[in-house]
Amino acid sequence: MNRFINSVMNMNISGITLTAIILTLTFAITTHADDCFTVNGETIDANSNTRPFVCFQHDAHNEKAGLESCDRCHHSYDDQGKLIEGESSEDKSCSECHAGNVGSQKSFDSNRLNIDLAAKYHKLCRDCHITEKKGPVVCGECHKR
Amino acid sequence: MSESKTVNDNKKTESKKIEDQGIQKGIEQLTPERIESVIRQVINDETGARLKVYVDTCLHCGLCSKGCHFFLSLKDPKFSPAAKVKQTLWEIMRKKGKVSPEFIKEAALIAYTQCNMCKRCAMYCPFGLDVAYVMSVMRRICYKLGVVPLYIQDTAHSHSVAMNQMWVKDDEWIDTLMWQEEEAQDAMENLRIPLDKEGADIFYSVIGPEPKFRAQLIFQAAVIMNAAKENWTMPSMPGWDNSDMCMFTGDYEMMERLKRLHFESALNLRAKRIVMGECGHAFRSVYDVGNRALGWRMPPIEVVHSIEYFNELFEQKKIKIRKKFERPVTLHDPCNIVRGRGLHEMARNIVNATCANFIEMTPNREHNYCCSAGGGVINCGPPFKNARVESGKEKAKQLFAAKAKGAEVVIAPCHNCHGGLEDIIHHYGVEMELKFFGDIIYEILELPE
Amino acid sequence: MHSYYSFVTGPLAWIAFIVFICGSIWRFNSLWQLTKKKDSAVFEYMDRKFALRSIAHWLIPFGSRSMQLNPAMTVATFLFHICLFITPIFVFGHVMLWKENFNISWFALPNMAADVMTFIVIGSCIFFLWRRIKLPHVKYLTTPLDFIILMIVAAPFMTGFWAYHQFPGFVSMTIIHIVSGEIMLMAIPFTKLFHMFLFPFTRGYIGSEFGGVRMAKDW
Repeated sequence: MNRFINSVMNMNISGITLTAIILTLTFAITTHADDCFTVNGETIDANSNTRPFVCFQHDAHNEKAGLESCDRCHHSYDDQGKLIEGESSEDKSCSECHAGNVGSQKSFDSNRLNIDLAAKYHKLCRDCHITEKKGPVVCGECHKR
Repeated sequence: MSESKTVNDNKKTESKKIEDQGIQKGIEQLTPERIESVIRQVINDETGARLKVYVDTCLHCGLCSKGCHFFLSLKDPKFSPAAKVKQTLWEIMRKKGKVSPEFIKEAALIAYTQCNMCKRCAMYCPFGLDVAYVMSVMRRICYKLGVVPLYIQDTAHSHSVAMNQMWVKDDEWIDTLMWQEEEAQDAMENLRIPLDKEGADIFYSVIGPEPKFRAQLIFQAAVIMNAAKENWTMPSMPGWDNSDMCMFTGDYEMMERLKRLHFESALNLRAKRIVMGECGHAFRSVYDVGNRALGWRMPPIEVVHSIEYFNELFEQKKIKIRKKFERPVTLHDPCNIVRGRGLHEMARNIVNATCANFIEMTPNREHNYCCSAGGGVINCGPPFKNARVESGKEKAKQLFAAKAKGAEVVIAPCHNCHGGLEDIIHHYGVEMELKFFGDIIYEILELPE
Repeated sequence: MHSYYSFVTGPLAWIAFIVFICGSIWRFNSLWQLTKKKDSAVFEYMDRKFALRSIAHWLIPFGSRSMQLNPAMTVATFLFHICLFITPIFVFGHVMLWKENFNISWFALPNMAADVMTFIVIGSCIFFLWRRIKLPHVKYLTTPLDFIILMIVAAPFMTGFWAYHQFPGFVSMTIIHIVSGEIMLMAIPFTKLFHMFLFPFTRGYIGSEFGGVRMAKDW
């Protein structure tokens, strides 16, 4: 945990804006720190709209939620867009399916790209929280200041 | 300035409760049931979306206040245009007509004597809500309830009996015209006031008070018409009076009769157009209100106000002047022909053609302050004179300011304005002289031969 | 919390939009029909050129003498109305919600801009409130409903600001924010807030009268 905070602090001081990391939404996991999962910043640029970093504690979340199978979040769909029960997509980053060819679109319309992925991420979490009547739903509950 | 001090120091006469016999007797005969049924009838049958939208859209922002000379003069929030709606139709519509005779009394006082229907406020409201229209609906309700100030009702009675505003009998009218013709022949030999001439270019009509108190205006008009060698005529029979107090009392049926007779008098003589004397409300009744009531989008025959006519005389060089009028003049823009017909630039053309020295009063043109007499307010007579003059305080300041710049003469091309300004000038000691354009043109006119 | 959240973002949101849209259409249509039935002369005098001329003068800041005589009000109203419309449509959080729910998106305001604009709206509401309390001619016209409408308009901005900055109780405040926005939407057709739709018509009509019949300006 400390290591993570330090690294974040360092980044901030070294001039990389904190928010650049915080709202990077491709979900490709780069830092598997003690608790927080964060995502890499390759697919999006920071902009003035970015909200505070979301600390997603993967293991603690799954334990609390009693999640056994990975595919509840790491879902897979077939060609017809039908959910494939029991098949997990942990090995892929979200952007591989949800944002098309990320790398090449990045410089063209980064805001749009952010929004596409962010929307998917938001829905994934919130829809489940609403169904289960558990967990955070309003913006500030995840994007803590 | 010592003059403007007079305005400020002028003690505010305590607004005593004004008792008007017409209103008092009227409300004595009212019952709540009658009030409700009349209000329902007027609102349901005679008004529609306009009234609803005007009353419902008003956001109570108070921006109309600066549009109203009553508010500007009296600084009392009750006198802002929206406040007058609040005290009348706003309440009536909220209570669905269930209001007391006492309420109707207050509403009648507001609608008849505290609004000149000058429409200046429509230019100050961001939504262009027409408070004058709302006041006219209130007057209509009051008229139908028989609650109308005595003096203006008397003029309306005169309209319905004699078809003119001033109880002028048919023979008196012809007699007056012949008398003025004779007088004018001293100034111009062979001058005629042609009566009932068919196919004339100009059908000249005046308001009832002209033959009654200001016959010299007919004389002057005759001289100007003759000097311009116009093919003109005046009617010998009722229909000569273009004024209309019924429009202001809310007696629209009578207004329609009056306007019809006036239009028909001109049309029967196959006149090419109607030229009117320097009157504002009469022009409004003929050009705006009366024709609509009769179902004419615009008047069925061209209607020309004196200002437009005089402007034409100068533009077409039909008359010549000996010399320009020397004394410095200022110009009062009457609501009904400026906000009502945009004649302000033409009026300035005439001033420039006739006067050597012109000083604008401010604000001017569409934004000029009202004389406080229009909309039938002066016609409500002596009981309301003091209140009316009080509400002309802002006007007095405006006149003082023009005077300070050197103006000595106020040109007011409207009878009501004349009446109103005369009282203001007298009350506040402005000491300026009032003139019509006709007075000035007559004074400097070069008579042929 | 979850059921409140699902209710205000689900059924209530739909109700709010439907009430706003259908209510506005209904009110507009009833006025239109009434005009056709009782005030058909209005259509006779409506003149596109003069209507637009008048509307244009009144949509330009200080374009009328009335606005020049009331500079503070003019500045406040223009900023207020601009921010009132722009902020909710272009604030990033809302753009995100449109993206999530309808998969459409557009330009989003920088956070700082949204904050400033929110302040402008709240500040103007305070100014309007001050006018209603302190200026005698406005006070005289003011009804309790005018204060309520002012509250209805200010509430979504105050709660939104609260929720965004995560002041204490921001979770409930977010729910209140959503509800207050829905109340405002639903209030539009049935209150004086409907003036937003009537402005072009009242202004256009008086502009047509002044331009076409009276041949005078009305600004």
